[in-house]
Parts: sequence; C-alpha cells; structure tokens
Amino acid sequence: MPIDKDTMIEAIDVNKEYRRSGAIIRALADVSLSIKAGEFVLVQGPTGCGKSTLLNVLSGIDIPDSGKIIFDGENIARATEDRLSRIRRQKIGFVFQDFNLIPTLTAIENVEALLWPTVLREKEIENRAIAALREVNLLERKDHYPVQMSGGEKQRCGLARAIIHRPRVLLADEPTGNLDPESEKQVMDLLKEINKDMETTVIVVTHRGSLASYADKVVKMEKGAILNIK
Amino acid sequence: MAFRMWKKAVLMTLREKKLFSVFTLIYTSLIFITSLFWELAITGEIGEIAGYFVLIFFGTSLFLSLLYAWIIVSRNRRTWATLKCIGYTNKNINSLVTGKILFTTLMGFIIVIELLFHYTAVIGYLQSAAISVSLPLTLIGLIPVILTSFIFIVVQMVAIVLANRKILKVRPIIALKKVGE
Repeated sequence: MPIDKDTMIEAIDVNKEYRRSGAIIRALADVSLSIKAGEFVLVQGPTGCGKSTLLNVLSGIDIPDSGKIIFDGENIARATEDRLSRIRRQKIGFVFQDFNLIPTLTAIENVEALLWPTVLREKEIENRAIAALREVNLLERKDHYPVQMSGGEKQRCGLARAIIHRPRVLLADEPTGNLDPESEKQVMDLLKEINKDMETTVIVVTHRGSLASYADKVVKMEKGAILNIK
Repeated sequence: MAFRMWKKAVLMTLREKKLFSVFTLIYTSLIFITSLFWELAITGEIGEIAGYFVLIFFGTSLFLSLLYAWIIVSRNRRTWATLKCIGYTNKNINSLVTGKILFTTLMGFIIVIELLFHYTAVIGYLQSAAISVSLPLTLIGLIPVILTSFIFIVVQMVAIVLANRKILKVRPIIALKKVGE
C-alpha cells in the first residue's frame, strides 16, 4: 500500500539492466520516486538516461529487475501480463512519440479501438469517442485515416485514444518529439487541460527543457539515476 | 465481446485490400481445385491419382495458411504491441487475428459455392433451352465440398495456433521503439 493515500504511483529502489551487444547497460539505478494523484510530472534528461525505461516500468510495459512499483495501491512489478493489460485499459492512457495509430482505421475507429474489448455498447463507445475527439478539437477529422492527417492531428488523435476511458494516469513518451513548435504547443496545452479538467495524473518524458513550464514537478535524470526533483 | 472483436477483425481485413484479395483468390482456387479432385476421387474418374492430388492440395493449403498467419502477425507487430500497450490482453488480440484468418477462408468458400451455383444455373439453362452440352449439371457434389471444408478447418486451426503463439511473443515495448529502430 502507498505510504500516502494521495500517492498515485510510487517507485521504490527500482533497478533495470539491459544487455546490448554483450555489454550490460544499467538503465535504472536505485530509482525511487513518488507521484501524487493529479500531478503534472515532466521527466527530463538526455537520450539514453533511462527516462523512457522509467516510464515503461511505471506503466508495467517493462518489468524491473528489482524494486517495487506501487500503482494506485497495487505492486505491479510482479503482476501477470493479463493483470497489467487490464490495469492499463482501466487506469492508464498512453501517448506515443510516433503516434502509433492503426493505419487501416479512421480517426474515430482508432479512438474507439481501446474500448472494443469492453462490455460497453457500440453506441456508448461511439459517443465516448466523439467526446474525446471533441476534447482534442479533432471531431471534423473523425473519418480521416492517419495517412490523411498531419503530425499534430495524429498526435491529437492519439491523445483522444488515451483519454477515451478517462484514465487516472496519462503517460506520454516524447509526445512532441515529431511535431513542429505550433503543434507542440497545442499538444502540451491539451495535456495541461486534461490534467486540470479531468484531474488526471500526467507524466511526460522529454529531452526538451522548454516544456518545464507546464509541469508541477520536474524530474531530471542522468545515467539511469534521478539527479534532482524540482 | 468476442463477436465484436471478430466484427472488427472483418473490418480491418477488408481495409487491407491487397493482402485480403490475394489470399482470398488463393483460397478460392485451392478450395475449388481440392473439391474438384475430391469429386474425381469419389467417382473414380481419373483413378487413384486424384487422391494424391488431394494430398498435395492439403499440403499446399497448410503451407499457405501458415504463411498467411505469419504475415498477419509479423506485418502488424507494431499494431499488436500498441494494442497491448493500451490494454488489450493476448486473448483480445488472438480474437482479432483468428477473425482475420477465418474471414478470409470463409470468403473463399462463399465464392466457390457461389461459382458452383452459377455453373449449375448456366448448364441448367442451356439444357432447358435444348442446347447440347457435354458437361454435368452438377460439377462438384455436396460431399466433396464438406470434405474440403473439413480439411480447411483443420488447416486453419493449425494456422490459428501458430498465430496465437506468435502473438504471445510480441512484447508491448515494441510499440515504444521509434520507427525504424
């Protein structure tokens, strides 16, 4: 159980190593971090500092070698794959740097796809998808395929997919990495809006220092360890 | 829920026009030829050799079904990984893949049955119009079609098992790798 009931995610002494070309890379070294519900957290650092690995273990996409990840009161570090999938579907929204939209589905279908394996009725899923697309100002593009959308629009579609189930936590891995400055501002403003309006905990991984103004907390990482938290 | 996943699998299959068209055409040809040779084996028109041909077509359809399953999983690895990231279980993804495989095979059967009906209709019309044709009214009977469907069900089950095993190996972390990495 988390020490503080307001704590949404807590990483305790988390370690993670990778083997690459025979060499052992320490991606996370005794990382401990506590994130409160409703916080906007920015994880910053140079390429290869372990920030994406941290995001992966916080969401259960990757398993730490040691340590605990307490997610909403549950240690997910040793949870089964199916349990982790269910936690992600119910509580986590994911935004990817490369958008990761399914090319054969339209914008609205991409958003709806998250709820296909649920017991919700088709109409309810459609209504929620429309609401999510409206939230990110993309409703007029709902019948467009990813190939017909700009980078900014694709990311907003990804954002709509990430919030359709009203997640408690939104995780974004370099969400503006492939965007021009104007689209970057749009996406970051939307993330801030979601954080404020839905009280969703937002964790953004980025190497861009310019985004710090959006965050309540900035976690700086270097060589797999947390350098400081401001 | 499983029904919805299959429905979505059909939608996704139809959108992959090239792959769907090629494999539907291949399955249609195989189902037709296999049924025809079953018919010939049963009636004994071309002797024992018909049975060998059926075996060859069985092997070919097994190979092609495994290839199709492999293509569906491998070409869309990033899609399956993304779905795992956003909360799909292996079972959910298996439902999509199974739906894709079964739908393509089902389409092959429907086309063959449709063709056989049209064939009988044309021959029946020609005979009623007193135009002499040396072709039988029924090209392939019901039993060869049932036997062929049995073969294809077995083959597709093998392909689905292979696809499901491959899906288990797709790690969600693949979705987070940058394109081209």
